[in-house]
Amino acid sequence: MIKVSKMIEIDSINKVYKNEGFETNVLKGISVSVDEGDYVSIIGPSGSGKSTLMTILGCLGQATSGTYLLGGEEVGKLKDYDLSRIRNEKIGFVFQAFHLLPGVSAFDNVMMPLIYCNKIPDDAQERVKQALIRVGLEHRMAHTPGQLSGGEQQRVTIARSLINDPKIILADEPTGNLDSKNGAEIMRVFDQLNAEGRTIIIITHDSFVSEHARRILTLRDGQIVSDKINENFKEPQAGLARVEVK
Amino acid sequence: MRILRNLRQALHGLKLNKGNTFLMTLGVMIGIASLTVIVAIGEGTKSTVLERIANMGFGPESFSVYSGGGRLFFGRNRNITSMTLQDADDIRAMPGVAIVVPRQRKRMRIINKKEFTTTRVYGVSPEWQPARQWKVVDGEFFNDMDMDRKRKVIVLGNTPARKIFGEKDPLGKKIRVGQVFFEVIGLLETKGLTESGYDPDDRALIPLTTAMSRLFRQAHLHSIKVVSTSSDIVRQTMEGVTQVLRRNHGLSPLADDDFRFVTPEGIMQWVTESEQALNRMLLLISTVSLLVGGVVIMNILLVSIRERIREIGVRRCFGARRTDITQQFLFESVLVSLLGGAMGSVVGWVLSSSLKYFDFLPVKITLDPFVLAFGFSMVVGLIFGIHPARKAASLSPDETIR
Ligand SMILES: Nc1ncnc2c1ncn2[C@@H]1O[C@H](COP(=O)(O)OP(=O)(O)OP(=O)(O)O)[C@@H](O)[C@H]1O
Ligand SMILES: [Mg+2]
Repeated sequence: MIKVSKMIEIDSINKVYKNEGFETNVLKGISVSVDEGDYVSIIGPSGSGKSTLMTILGCLGQATSGTYLLGGEEVGKLKDYDLSRIRNEKIGFVFQAFHLLPGVSAFDNVMMPLIYCNKIPDDAQERVKQALIRVGLEHRMAHTPGQLSGGEQQRVTIARSLINDPKIILADEPTGNLDSKNGAEIMRVFDQLNAEGRTIIIITHDSFVSEHARRILTLRDGQIVSDKINENFKEPQAGLARVEVK
Repeated sequence: MRILRNLRQALHGLKLNKGNTFLMTLGVMIGIASLTVIVAIGEGTKSTVLERIANMGFGPESFSVYSGGGRLFFGRNRNITSMTLQDADDIRAMPGVAIVVPRQRKRMRIINKKEFTTTRVYGVSPEWQPARQWKVVDGEFFNDMDMDRKRKVIVLGNTPARKIFGEKDPLGKKIRVGQVFFEVIGLLETKGLTESGYDPDDRALIPLTTAMSRLFRQAHLHSIKVVSTSSDIVRQTMEGVTQVLRRNHGLSPLADDDFRFVTPEGIMQWVTESEQALNRMLLLISTVSLLVGGVVIMNILLVSIRERIREIGVRRCFGARRTDITQQFLFESVLVSLLGGAMGSVVGWVLSSSLKYFDFLPVKITLDPFVLAFGFSMVVGLIFGIHPARKAASLSPDETIR
């Protein structure tokens, strides 16, 4: 048996949004753990708290109560300084709406996480180039988001999420704005990233997407209602060719 | 360095949001432009006045008394005709007075055949030359005999001489001043243009008696220059002159003086006072306009942060710390303010130069206001940028990204 370490361990996480006059209890005592190298998809109806869970997993916001261990470190005790470092080094984000910097070239968008490293790596330029080649966009480096198709933009965001070689990739409906062909291509990239040993968590509405994951969590009304191994899961193979561009 | 990377992001942000950037620069630009122009005018006025003093040929022992009350160059009533040769003679008789030069003056047209120009024509007594210590380089100055006989002779400054004679020798030639013909008997040494464009050589001198009876046809004097025997007794002499003139002009004890003194000291004092007044005005104008400029920057920045909340969120997602966001937006506001300052400096410089070129106002362009502009814009950018920058940084990443 290979020894698998726990990447993420959350215990009785609650998230309450306080607004003037009312409170919204979005996450209600969620406990779950994710192994290093796991491939998890989170599904559930709209408003069930999927994105909220992701902001907590991604150290973008703190839970109201409960504990979160990320690689053994207790996130709830960290200050902005350390949280920023974790986001920078350990986590790569992919969003449904891409969230690329407008007016900035694909190259500089992918470069962006590196400028927030304590020291820019010497091979930064080369790394950006390799990341873009990897997602099949070496011919689009100077294009701004406005000059790229949706599929291309999402591939730029994947290159961006990879640039710091993170252990975890968090994707919130990465195929939500794409057609099925582009969606399939993006999923192949995720499969490959998982094959390399990265922990992948994908939020989705799409059963085609969740079928790619090894494990499927279902969220309803702020609670995990099912946690299943995907029987159709096909072990992806590492070292597959990069995305082909047609 | 991390801070330099944030500076680059700020530059990029400004480039991307050109409209906002331009609007933000406007306030500071106007403030700095007006500041530099006002300083240039102030400096110009000051140096013009100082040059005039230098060119009046004042030593510490001399002063002038002008007809008409008021102060310095600002005569209250230019129609006053009370100052006469009698006054000059009575002053000359006072103890401690070395030289007295009674003067009349008028701007007139002087003509040599077809060439003509307008110049300041002075009717003075021959003592003018020792009092001014202005050399005659060609020919000679008129003497007491020319005075007594009311001769129609004229001594030209270089400017009118060149204008109507060109390269020819004016000596001995007849020229017309108004309707009267004069013979040129001397040429004054050339002093050259002062820095502010005042031309001391633009003058012509004729005997006072000739001026009174043949040219200006008036008995009253424009002014009297007095040189006392020593600078210690100038004040005392001025008091004596006051008594003489008030008595001669029959002024009642309650009436104001109908003459005024011009002394180097008086002019200097006036320069200092006007400089202080100008500085107060400057302070007010620049404070108000830079305040307005700063508030404009702050508000546009606050709006732009709302527009760019996604950008802030994404940067935070990928590792930007609060301090990175603070720095980026603070840099944006400082850069924009400096840009406004630079634009204002250019506009101010162009305005000042054209004022100078078209001779509207005395202008002297110095480096000081531009250095000041740099400092001011920097401070404005910092002060008014800190609130928006901290606000941008205080946003929690999960709120900025959804
Ligand atoms: N800042 C907030 N203040 C109050 N309520 C909030 C806030 N953010 C989210 N919510 C609420 O939390 C609930 C869960 O939101 P969340 O975005 O996590 O849902 P989701 O599962 O991602 O839905 P979807 O599939 O539509 O993206 C929603 O009902 C939403 O209204
Ligand atoms: Mg969502």
